[in-house]
Amino acid sequence: MDKFKIFLLPVVGLVFGIIILMLIVFSLNSIPIFQREGIAIYTTNIWKAGEVPEEEFYGILAAIYGTLYTSTIAILISLPISVGLAVFISDLLPKKLREFFIIPTDIMAGLPTILYGIWGIFVLAPSLSGMMKFLYDNFSFIPFFSYYNPTGFSYLSAGILLAIMVTPFATSLIREAYMAIPSIYREAVYSLGLTRYEATKVLLSYIKPAILAGTLLAFGRAVGETVAVSLVIGNAFNIHSSLFAPGYTISSLIANQFGNAFIYEFMPSALFSAGLALFLIGLVVNVSGLLVLKRWGYA
Amino acid sequence: MLRELKNKVFILYLIISAFLVLFPLLHILFSVFANGIPVLLKFGMEFLTETLPAPNKPGGGIFPAIYGTFVMVFLASLIGIPLAVLAGIFVAEYPNNALSKATRSLLLIMMEFPTILVGLFVMAIIVLPLGSFSALAGAIALSIVMLPYVATYTEQAMRSVPQQYKEGAYALGLRKVRVVFSITLKIAKKGVVTGLLIGMAKVSGETAPLIFTAGNAWRSTGGALEPAGAVPLWIYYLVQQPYANYHELAWGAAFVLMVFFLAIFLPIRLSMVRS
Amino acid sequence: MKKVLAFGILVALLMLGCVSEESKEGAMEQIKIYGSGASFPAPQIENWISEFSKVNKNVVVEYASKGSGAGINDFKSKLVHFACTDPPAKKSEWEEFEKLGKPLQFPFIVGAVVVVYNLPVEGLKLDGETIAKIFMGDIEFWDDERIKALNPNANLPHEKIIVIHRSDSSGTTEVFTTYLSLVSEEFKKRVGAGKLVDWPVDKLGRGFGGKGNEGVSAMLKQTQNSIAYVELAYALHENFKMVSIKNAEGNFVKANSETISSAISASSAYVPDPTEGYKEDPKLFLNAKGKNSYPIVSFSHVLLWQSYPEKEAKAIKSFWKWVLTEGQKKIIDGYAPIPKEVAELGLKAVESIRGE
Repeated sequence: MDKFKIFLLPVVGLVFGIIILMLIVFSLNSIPIFQREGIAIYTTNIWKAGEVPEEEFYGILAAIYGTLYTSTIAILISLPISVGLAVFISDLLPKKLREFFIIPTDIMAGLPTILYGIWGIFVLAPSLSGMMKFLYDNFSFIPFFSYYNPTGFSYLSAGILLAIMVTPFATSLIREAYMAIPSIYREAVYSLGLTRYEATKVLLSYIKPAILAGTLLAFGRAVGETVAVSLVIGNAFNIHSSLFAPGYTISSLIANQFGNAFIYEFMPSALFSAGLALFLIGLVVNVSGLLVLKRWGYA
Repeated sequence: MLRELKNKVFILYLIISAFLVLFPLLHILFSVFANGIPVLLKFGMEFLTETLPAPNKPGGGIFPAIYGTFVMVFLASLIGIPLAVLAGIFVAEYPNNALSKATRSLLLIMMEFPTILVGLFVMAIIVLPLGSFSALAGAIALSIVMLPYVATYTEQAMRSVPQQYKEGAYALGLRKVRVVFSITLKIAKKGVVTGLLIGMAKVSGETAPLIFTAGNAWRSTGGALEPAGAVPLWIYYLVQQPYANYHELAWGAAFVLMVFFLAIFLPIRLSMVRS
Repeated sequence: MKKVLAFGILVALLMLGCVSEESKEGAMEQIKIYGSGASFPAPQIENWISEFSKVNKNVVVEYASKGSGAGINDFKSKLVHFACTDPPAKKSEWEEFEKLGKPLQFPFIVGAVVVVYNLPVEGLKLDGETIAKIFMGDIEFWDDERIKALNPNANLPHEKIIVIHRSDSSGTTEVFTTYLSLVSEEFKKRVGAGKLVDWPVDKLGRGFGGKGNEGVSAMLKQTQNSIAYVELAYALHENFKMVSIKNAEGNFVKANSETISSAISASSAYVPDPTEGYKEDPKLFLNAKGKNSYPIVSFSHVLLWQSYPEKEAKAIKSFWKWVLTEGQKKIIDGYAPIPKEVAELGLKAVESIRGE
């Protein structure tokens, strides 16, 4: 081993150390709540803080549910338009114009999330509340629309905001994979006399793994997003199938409750265990996304 | 006929997709400009030099937030950049090593990692033992967020340096340290600096890692061990207040943040198009 | 690259230098005091800080309005110099403080929790029992007989009542639920009093949580047919319609500085020595006697330590002394000053603070 490598090793060790230490900190701090409640912390929807520790009981199921629900809404909205934009840029636009569409998506990917937040709370949620009222008044027999929520703060608002935030990632991944399809395939497909729709369908089936990876990574981002979501989700311990219901996500629960957690005996531990859940969900989703990319040679 | 129709519908779908992606961006940019510029005009230069006003009182500004963002990004860079660049060098220089493959994956995972968890982590290991929210704690959280971006850009830039340069240098009998620092890194300079700037732009807009670390300051500016404000943090708190003048401040701060971000990001991005 | 970095550091240091230079010119030496806690007195405190900074330029006060719970939390972790809390600290909390030093607690302002609603009906009247039933979800519609009985002339709509409450740990909630537990046995049994309670109405799909007085205000404004509880100052600021509540002597009263002052006129007898602040029983101020007394009033308290580092001690004393004297003359809408005897208790406590 050369000296230079030995010199660099501690640095690399430190990078790994940060992540490992983080996992240790979250695990250690979760122990008290696990000892007290066991798995119930993840399987019940109760948030009972008490001045006397005996009265305390915490279950973050509503937050786990809200995290998965909002992220799923985000993906269902984002995926079709991500694919659409990717194909639009690579097939319909002349080379010179492509950058005009790619640069804005790059800006969106990097834009500070608090800007999505201020837009979400002052622009998006108020304008959605009108639409929600209309759908509730006329279509409340459909379960998704069955919640009377005049505030606009809901799973739907959070889901839409997340969709806007994760689309740039999904679309750029899909676009790069789509453009990387060897031109022989392209020419072969078009030489069959297929329409653009039919040809694209065939070509997209070549990059299924990239679309899957894009979906997973976008989902991972949505799961971890905090500030923008916490401003529009409504922050209620609620488990409801309706899009219009207010709820919580794990990250917004932490952002909202951690400030007053330490006056209670077990709330800090409950929130660290929520963090641990987020840590693990994020890890599993992102690692699977990266594995898919690796497996198919995109990264 | 049906084939033709399907095709038309499909093309329409593509165009609508493009519109649906771009419309929110334009709407956000427009909202921030339309709400932010009047605020800046109304408050004048004081907006950048004054501190938080009382509720429903005229005047005031966001100076402690700008100051805090500046201090924390600066400290985060001091801590994070050397680490990140060295980690990037390691991955680039020893690409086939198992450890460096693992590091590469780790950096990619860190990029996607929920930043609120970084904040909670730093609160547990820095804020509680030190007994105070501080700019330093905020900066440490930001440096962890910044690390994977800078490291990955460094790695890519280092790897894009043609092999001949390095081989030439080795042929002259230079040691690896010299080759890396005086040859490869010099040639890769532009890519590395791009990484630094992207990393700094990224963390200057981060809110979640700061909520439980920096603490916030509305009226004061201080040293590294004192609580500090930050522009994104101010926006986060101000929008949750019921006062009209606080909402104005929030829009003005959002405008400042956006201009700052675009001023760093756009030149970098446009220079990529040219090259 | 090195040059870029070196240049960056240089610029940064210069700017840091400028800033510290500037503050040196502005004053001899600036002392910073940090406080956090209740959002209820926040508008008043922000105002005091602005006024105080005009007469005393050496002291900068930072107050973070995060809720009483978070304030006590910060105080216990010594993250702040002082904390504000609506309900007085509990005995268990006090014992925690005493492990770290000698705590002081005294009231510095009075406010009221008001029940507000968003409904095209003026002058709604309710009694404690009915309010408790609404907040438990037992009364579902606005035109319920029990509401009608109290408002025979009002044109109440047949609409579901949307209940909005605080989602964070808050003193406002504790004051409000303490009052409801006092007037309704059933509420006491099913919900109880606390900073954070499990609202039964949430599970009926008609309860919503808002963060802070701010969040609740914002939701109420946007939500028709809703009812909520907030601090008086926020209700006045937002121009909300307030419920007239039946007091202990059977009169319906609205909250204002007169009815609040009436409720606490005899309070000084109940305020304990600041070194034993936990002994205060907030129930004694609720549903108070007096024809004109508003039933849901509360003191806001400050928590301080008896000793601080020398310079900070001086700054803290100067600010709190000012609040208890000059500050009491600069009260904004929605609050009332504390009675003189209570202010004197506080002053004595402030005087006892020592520098180390």
